[in-house]
Amino acid sequence: MDWLDEELKQALARKEPGADFDARVRRKLVRTTPRWLAAAAAVIVIAGGGALYRRHQGEQAKEQVMLAVRLTGAKLNRVQVHVQALGERQ
Amino acid sequence: MIGIQSAARQACDFGELMRAHRSMVFSVAYHFLHDRDLAEEIAQDVFLSLHTNLDDLESPAHAAHWLRRVAVQRAIDAARRRQRRPVVALDSLPEPSVRPATGDPLLGEMLRKLVASLPETQRMVVVLRYQEDLDPTEIAGILGIPIGTVKSHLQRSLALLREKLERRGVGER
Repeated sequence: MDWLDEELKQALARKEPGADFDARVRRKLVRTTPRWLAAAAAVIVIAGGGALYRRHQGEQAKEQVMLAVRLTGAKLNRVQVHVQALGERQ
Repeated sequence: MIGIQSAARQACDFGELMRAHRSMVFSVAYHFLHDRDLAEEIAQDVFLSLHTNLDDLESPAHAAHWLRRVAVQRAIDAARRRQRRPVVALDSLPEPSVRPATGDPLLGEMLRKLVASLPETQRMVVVLRYQEDLDPTEIAGILGIPIGTVKSHLQRSLALLREKLERRGVGER
């Protein structure tokens, strides 16, 4: 082995990265994991919210129909009473 | 069988692998790119990738081989992304008038800069040969090139480095 081989071995000897290298890798790992969780949570919230909204809309529509039925029933009752009163007078 | 598998898995403990190989991974990138920040970034990405692939690695030796290969590939990719070879202001380097003693920090830095100025494949061949102490067969396996090419890259690189050093007054003892 000549002098250049020796010098290259010394010049290119392994070096340590920064002191907090392990901690930085672990922080990146932690940051990577919740990104997945956050995305999954967002999908669940959006899907669940959509389902709840559709259910709420359905209930509102049902209430409106029931109200319309009740109003119609009340009007029909009044008409019936009126017709009966007319019939008795004749 | 389960015992063997769990023992292997335990042997591939992430923290242990990072402690054992961080200097190898970082140094491959650092000596190839001559950029400490970029080398740290690459080394971090290599270990994040290791964490994802940990279950596929069968033994610590397999993990070490995997890490070296991935570090080499990531360093080459980063150099290509940078789209230019590192600018090495050789003229700004002080020129020693006499041959410095072995292990001289000045000569070491000069050599690292000269290595960083080599063409891509020659540079990685030199890094793997002198940093990792790999023989041409192993280097050929990692880089996916014929052994003869590795040998000729080594010879050419050494001749070039010797010539540039001699031009700066650093010669054989």
